Amino acid sequence: MARIIVVTSGKGGVGKTTSAAAIATGLALRGNKTVVIDFDVGLRNLDLIMGCERRVVYDLVNVIQGEAGLNQALIRDKRSDHLYILPASQTRDKDALTLEGVEQVLEKLAEDFDYIVCDSPAGIERGAQLAMYFADEAIVVTNPEVSSVRDSDRILGLLASKTRRAEQAQDPVVERLLITRYDPNRVDSGDMLNLEDIQEILAIKLIGLIPESEAVLRASNSGVPVTHDQDSDAGQAYSDTVARLLGDEKPLRFHQLQKKSFLSRIFGGGRR
Amino acid sequence: MSLKVDQTATAFTFKGGMLPMTVMELNSSDPERISAQLAGKLSQSPAFFQHTPVVLSVEKLDDTSLALERLCAVCRSHKLLPVAVRGGSEGIKQSAWALGLGWFPPQESRESRTLASVAPPPQPAAVVEASGSGGRIFRGTVRSGQQISAAEGDLVVVGAVNAGAEVLAAGSVHVYGPLRGRALAGIHGDRECGIFCHELHAELLSVAGNYKRLEDIDPSLLNTTVQVRLRDDQLSIEALV
Repeated sequence: MARIIVVTSGKGGVGKTTSAAAIATGLALRGNKTVVIDFDVGLRNLDLIMGCERRVVYDLVNVIQGEAGLNQALIRDKRSDHLYILPASQTRDKDALTLEGVEQVLEKLAEDFDYIVCDSPAGIERGAQLAMYFADEAIVVTNPEVSSVRDSDRILGLLASKTRRAEQAQDPVVERLLITRYDPNRVDSGDMLNLEDIQEILAIKLIGLIPESEAVLRASNSGVPVTHDQDSDAGQAYSDTVARLLGDEKPLRFHQLQKKSFLSRIFGGGRR
Repeated sequence: MSLKVDQTATAFTFKGGMLPMTVMELNSSDPERISAQLAGKLSQSPAFFQHTPVVLSVEKLDDTSLALERLCAVCRSHKLLPVAVRGGSEGIKQSAWALGLGWFPPQESRESRTLASVAPPPQPAAVVEASGSGGRIFRGTVRSGQQISAAEGDLVVVGAVNAGAEVLAAGSVHVYGPLRGRALAGIHGDRECGIFCHELHAELLSVAGNYKRLEDIDPSLLNTTVQVRLRDDQLSIEALV
């Protein structure tokens, strides 16, 4: 049975698409047949992050409206045999998505895949609600700042009421917290909320913590999900996150202030 | 042919109906005082004031001083729609008709069944009964954008009320956890109830329409266990030891 995981946040720009791409890549690298779907119709980005923007012919809206078959729209990842991408349409808007259409696509994908990762658009409107509606699990991406935490809180409320599992009174959607862009230096100086505060407010299980890292922007711009960059802190942190998602125990890393060594202070040893 | 079957039938039929109706029982005929109190109620439960039809009950008043027209204008300016007057002298009856309002004879027995939000504060005896019945318990986190309410009795939240969430009760509000959102007790005017919480960081506290915002709260009380209640029309926040 395929697990449907929605990556969502409410707030924009916190790293949903980066996280969806990195987590889907990590799942595939560990041998799980995975598909990642871009629900951000009209503002598609996932194809860029995954580096497959030149290979998009058909998209999710084409499939839902019967203009193309699912297999025509699925793009196989260049780097991993187990990973497929279902892009969004750039020329349509979110009204082109229907609940029945999304359900049919997900049912079809569930026959072939182990994991279906849904990259939600920002906001709490139709696109975001459709992305989360059929989810079994949710990864709520949150930055260490008050507005992001509040928006995540709002999304958690919707996950508990506006999903199929909630409406049919099944087991609730499994909610997990992924904190991104965490900078221990700025937490220490009081600019950012700390890990404990965020967890206390949102009161859900932490699945991962991704440090603020130059590797993320580099990965986005080059179209290679950061999970492939195992030399970087962010790449390792996403691998840890995926391991926890698959049931492994991994200690939390990158959340504590690193004392700079004497030499790196002199030579300005840059953060990766 | 269209399906206008009932065109040949009667244009209308009279039917008896019992509709819920809010009675505004006036204790004062001073439009200024009424207006001020309405403004308070409006901020407390804006959803109620949507051109809600009300019956103005003047039975308790010495009606010689009553300016019915002025009173109706005050009600309308607060989005209440006076539809009728109950009780009062022959003069009141005539002026009600002149204003296009209906008139009802005064109620025979003065039973204490007062209706809905604008009812005057109930007697203390009734308060105990109300808070003892029909309350609600919510377990879990009340999240931003969620509203949990108890239309009757007390609301108990076992968990946190997060910023941007709202908890309301006709009686008291009890929060066994941090209160970071808005809490409104006594939404129907019960002045004897209160708000109790483990960790105070509320955006807004209100008891029977008297409210305090986060910035009005003494900072030394923040994040402590407190009770909030009305004392001499002032909202008082005290540490619960």
